Amino acid sequence: MTRAETFTKYILGFLTIFVVIALYAPIVLTIFYSFYKTRKGKVDWDSFSYEPYTKLIFEKQILESLVNSVYVGLVTVVFSVLIGFYFANYYHTHKGKMREFLQFVIFLPFLLPPIISGLALLIFFREVGLPRSLNTVVIGHTIFVLAIVYKIILNKLETLKPSLMESAYDLGANKLQAFWYVLLPNIKLSLVIAGLLAFTISLDETLITLFLIGDDTTWPIKLWAKMRVGFSKQVNASVTLILILTTTLVLLIAWIISKSEKKIMY
Amino acid sequence: MSSILELQNISKNYGSSVVLKDINLSIENNEFFTILGSSGSGKSTLLRIIGGFVKPSGGDLIFNSKVINEEPIFKRPFNTVFQDYALFPNMNVYNNIGFGLKIRKLDPKTITDKVEEVLSIVGLNDFKKRMPHELSGGQQQRVALARAIVCEPKVILLDEPLGALDAELRKQMQLFLKDIQKKIKTTFVFITHDQEEAIFLSDRIAVLNNHQFEQVGSPKELYYNPKSKYLASFFGECNLIDGTVDHINSDIITINTAFGKINVKNKYKNISQNQNVTFAIRPEQIFLNQNKDNNSFSTKVDRVEFKGAVTNIILNFPKNIKIKVQINNAEEQIAINENDQFNIYFDPNFGNLFVND
Repeated sequence: MTRAETFTKYILGFLTIFVVIALYAPIVLTIFYSFYKTRKGKVDWDSFSYEPYTKLIFEKQILESLVNSVYVGLVTVVFSVLIGFYFANYYHTHKGKMREFLQFVIFLPFLLPPIISGLALLIFFREVGLPRSLNTVVIGHTIFVLAIVYKIILNKLETLKPSLMESAYDLGANKLQAFWYVLLPNIKLSLVIAGLLAFTISLDETLITLFLIGDDTTWPIKLWAKMRVGFSKQVNASVTLILILTTTLVLLIAWIISKSEKKIMY
Repeated sequence: MSSILELQNISKNYGSSVVLKDINLSIENNEFFTILGSSGSGKSTLLRIIGGFVKPSGGDLIFNSKVINEEPIFKRPFNTVFQDYALFPNMNVYNNIGFGLKIRKLDPKTITDKVEEVLSIVGLNDFKKRMPHELSGGQQQRVALARAIVCEPKVILLDEPLGALDAELRKQMQLFLKDIQKKIKTTFVFITHDQEEAIFLSDRIAVLNNHQFEQVGSPKELYYNPKSKYLASFFGECNLIDGTVDHINSDIITINTAFGKINVKNKYKNISQNQNVTFAIRPEQIFLNQNKDNNSFSTKVDRVEFKGAVTNIILNFPKNIKIKVQINNAEEQIAINENDQFNIYFDPNFGNLFVND
């Protein structure tokens, strides 16, 4: 190895470490500060406690907002995956100009600045007399994440050979059976990924939510409101909990998928 | 033998472009029937019409004397072996083969028995727990075939199933297909663009050209009695010699060619005096060194091509006409060199005449 090569190697290695630290350090620090206190910039190693977590149970507002966010996220996932699959399948199996128009309509809300989408929806809901609530937030989030969900599912559908479904019909399967035994198992991973992404986007969506939410509050909006009056350990604790929750969720789903692929059907 | 599948005036067009027109066909029970055509000839479309994947623009599809135009794919008693195999990637070999039976809600015991039986027919007993991506092309092909066979269809449709295999494997699979078809006694409708494959496998062949059937018949009929000049050179090699009809009597037609008069046996009704015709004769139907009064010509050897079992001799005739003669090296033990003077003889019983427009 020449000197220049060694040098490049070290530079690249250093860069990689730097990027990894830049990505994960804030997360690690957030978790860290949920357990330890700092005094004058120095960590007080004796201050370790679960207190912020136990206190969190009494922070009704944060907990409520968290429950609201999870509710909004889950309902958004269900609607966006169902609608996204329907449109992706329509685009995939039909020809003609209609499908291009449909795709444009799906992509538009995602491409527009969220502030425009939020405002437009707000005006719309006012005109039709729908009161603002968590449900209007669900509608807003579904419209917003639909483009991503749709695109992920469509990409997967386009990798499948047309003969796959044809052979299912050929072997006697009706549309429902072909969908259940052949199409669904082959696209389920993309559905899960799309759903997860929809959930995370919904979980931290703030701008559209601000316009559409009524008297309730979601987690990011609550956190934002809290930050304005100063940091609290409970904020760190709730972030840590969410982190653990989503990571376990991802690992669980990955495990289920790897298991189901080896299973024999009958 | 009775007809199991009939196509009456089937046509298909996409907008203004015609893919098939006036296709008439009657496929017998238990025969190995091949639809042969070059790429873009519409042969796959025809198979897809039979399978129910494509709706014909006109005409009727008749199965056991019943019109089945409107029958959906999953109700037709046919199964298809796709060119790209189309195995279900989420199921192992066993589940792929059992899929059709599971859909029909057979009890698990029957499914197991039937799948095991078919697995042994295609020789894949040891592979039943493999996933499709863990199999070679030939093995995937056999799974695709097994998946069709196990459903006991009345007709198996095969859409260029050997197209993706290399030459050696292709030959093995041809033998395999032929054996299987004899064993399970089911009608096969096979699609290919490969003439040799068609001749080797088929009981009957339909040649698709210009959106229509050029000829339907046994491999021997197509080889020895082609109905058109296109077919004569489509199957194997053929010398095409242009000429005009000199005179006709009840047994013999004499034609004038660039190098002399050739007598051909008269088995034609549409040929008249002074017509422009083409005489088509295969290289192995020309004989050498038989000095006869008629149909015998002498000329110089242009090229000699030794091919192992046979030798091709290319002869130079006036006006740059080249005639290819094939001799069997086991029978004719003569040394032939370039520029030798050489004598050939056309037996009037061989060859075909085609009228030129």
